[in-house]
Amino acid sequence: MSKEPGKTLLKMRVNGKAVEVMVNPTWTLLRVLREELRLTGTKKGCEQGDCGVCTVIMDGRTVNACLVLALQTDSKEIETIEGLGTADQLHPLQKSFIKHGAVQCGFCTPGMLLSAKALLEKNADPTLEEIKRGISGNLCRCTGFAKIIKAIQNVHR
Amino acid sequence: MQRFQFYNPCSVEDALNFLAEQGERSKIIAGGTDLIPGLRLEEIRPDFVLNIPEINPFSGIKEIDHSFWIGPTTTFTEMVESNLLSCSFPALVRSAASVGGPQIRNRGTIGGNIANASPAADVLPALLAHGGELELQSKRNGKRIIPLAEAILSPYKTCFRSDEILTGIILKKLEPGTRSAFEKLGRRKAMARARMNLTLLLRLNHREEVSELRIVPGAVMPVAKRMDRTERMLLGKKPEPLLIEAASKTLAEEMVEVTGARWSTEYKIPVLKNIFKRMMKQLLTV
Amino acid sequence: MKKRGIGIGCMYYGMGYGFSRPDVSSAEVEICEDGSVIVRSGEVDYGQGSDTIFCQMVAEELGIRYDTIQLITADTFATPNAGPTSASRLTYVAGNAMVKASRAIKKTLQSVAEEILGERDLLFLDEEIFSESHPERRISFRQLAKEGHFRGLPMVETAWHDITTKDVNPETGQGDAYSTYAYAAQLAEVAVDTETGEVEVLRIVAVADVGKAINPSNVEGQIEGGVAMGLGYALTEEIKEEGGYLKTRNLGEYMIPTSMDVPPIDPHIVEVPVSSGPYGAKGVGEPALIPTAPAILNAIANAIGVRVTELPANLENLHRLIREKERD
Repeated sequence: MSKEPGKTLLKMRVNGKAVEVMVNPTWTLLRVLREELRLTGTKKGCEQGDCGVCTVIMDGRTVNACLVLALQTDSKEIETIEGLGTADQLHPLQKSFIKHGAVQCGFCTPGMLLSAKALLEKNADPTLEEIKRGISGNLCRCTGFAKIIKAIQNVHR
Repeated sequence: MQRFQFYNPCSVEDALNFLAEQGERSKIIAGGTDLIPGLRLEEIRPDFVLNIPEINPFSGIKEIDHSFWIGPTTTFTEMVESNLLSCSFPALVRSAASVGGPQIRNRGTIGGNIANASPAADVLPALLAHGGELELQSKRNGKRIIPLAEAILSPYKTCFRSDEILTGIILKKLEPGTRSAFEKLGRRKAMARARMNLTLLLRLNHREEVSELRIVPGAVMPVAKRMDRTERMLLGKKPEPLLIEAASKTLAEEMVEVTGARWSTEYKIPVLKNIFKRMMKQLLTV
Repeated sequence: MKKRGIGIGCMYYGMGYGFSRPDVSSAEVEICEDGSVIVRSGEVDYGQGSDTIFCQMVAEELGIRYDTIQLITADTFATPNAGPTSASRLTYVAGNAMVKASRAIKKTLQSVAEEILGERDLLFLDEEIFSESHPERRISFRQLAKEGHFRGLPMVETAWHDITTKDVNPETGQGDAYSTYAYAAQLAEVAVDTETGEVEVLRIVAVADVGKAINPSNVEGQIEGGVAMGLGYALTEEIKEEGGYLKTRNLGEYMIPTSMDVPPIDPHIVEVPVSSGPYGAKGVGEPALIPTAPAILNAIANAIGVRVTELPANLENLHRLIREKERD
């Protein structure tokens, strides 16, 4: 890796693969994902942790990628929406979202799916209140959350 | 964001050495949920950012004799998931559970909530009610322990020196029979700054008189503190409704003494009184 | 003290721009030699589902599968001009254009099929065209497309639909404001905390007359989203400006409902077909939102006898009205 003045080498794992990228210390994880790694499934919204469209899973917990400095992710495991499923092999949550009409404009969807995934991994049979709380850090303006919640409740049906 | 250099210390000593040199030009980052927006808006412009979540001795929750020690990089989620804390300090855990949303709670830390010293903080006032002590360390002066009540000087300003790190939060165990409550009033049910919060700790003696009472309202004053005049009104007495009503008025007065009359006072006075009375009623109906 | 109340809000709302403002859309349906179908529209689907219903309508007319249609939208290089996605107009205006273009190309296909099958009572169904009285006389859509191309016939049709109205008399207010109207009503049940000014919306029943629900699931989605937007409009959303500077600049200050704020929503679709709409359909984008705040405010009035006349009915504003009422 060529030396770029002012930049530091960052090593982390993204969607199961080891990644090395030169980063500016001021860059956030969001910036690195979207612009250096071209993983644009993670969206840029408010950039201050209020909307959740930049949600990724880091070491098993959902975080707002806009509120993590890139260099804080050294040696960590990051899961983005690209790692959730592929067009040929959708994750059950993705299938459920499609089936229940839980996607309108789609901008909140990547973050919403990852929050749902993290929720179900900790709690396989959440109550309605637990689901609402689990996605409470992901704003949606299109759906009123109704079909999103239904999709999460019915993922195994 | 103004350019800064990022330093990732490998130990407490490493961090303290760094701060001894560069403390004045540094900012410490834990969860980053307050710091990063500040950096982005260039409200804060450090030359160095010191990353502390990877330092092991800064995390954890331990029971030590009659106290609990909480590591400063303990996240709000970790506080909520801690059986130890949930059993011993349920109101404090409620305050942690009330912050933001899951993503914020997974990163935000108890140390950050203290060090950021926002007037609208949720965990900080609850901690004050529980009589927390802070462990601060520097290379030059070693360890010192100060009451949390002395740590916050003004909004967003602590008494921490530039070469110091908060290395622990100490909470004495509550006497058996202590009842506690935390309520937060926000504009919506998640992702909301507190419009007002209130922490109460109450203990009655065998004669049903108040033997301990701690009242800390949050998000209504520049710096949260115990409302001791109101507390004294009830100490040693039976908490009858009329007395509680009178105490609620004193509580509002104590608040206004600090804040003066502002546009929000006409809302805060009646609502603080109402919340106080409601919470007292709940605590007494146990 | 928490007081409960129920309120109803109802509305009717003009579809499209009205008042003689130009309101046009277009559609292009092309049948390719291999039987595949390309549909072009200038309209934008930003999540409400217009892409889906355009394909549904073309598929309905031509008797083919809607999910095999290749749809190209919102490309100034490739699609004919169309109006914006606004004013609850796409199903009603662009949908009509889709139906028109589909029926035009269907006419061409029909004439070829009549010639080949020797029958005139033809049905387009399940990717086939066949005679109703002699069903053994049939041809596949794909084969028919090929036959059309072999005959050198035009296999693409463009259609326009215009709902521009004549306008109203500015003196009398009488005339032709809108081409048609959608109707909706909502019921809100609230619990008002008179001690803090908090309003909890416990449930909303939302009914919309959409003429015909081309895609019921998507109509429900619009209703649910509209209700959530109306909830925020009523209770928490506020743009604050001081000296020309915006104070509510981001999503931390402009508060929209989170998943924990939106109550259970019970959507209902009423279908009273409107003859000017495609299959009787009209729009729901804005109608979904409009009755919500009135329903909530009426519910607040029912709960505590306080009439809110300025939005948002947030903590401070509502509590002030409550205190004023207590003083009187």
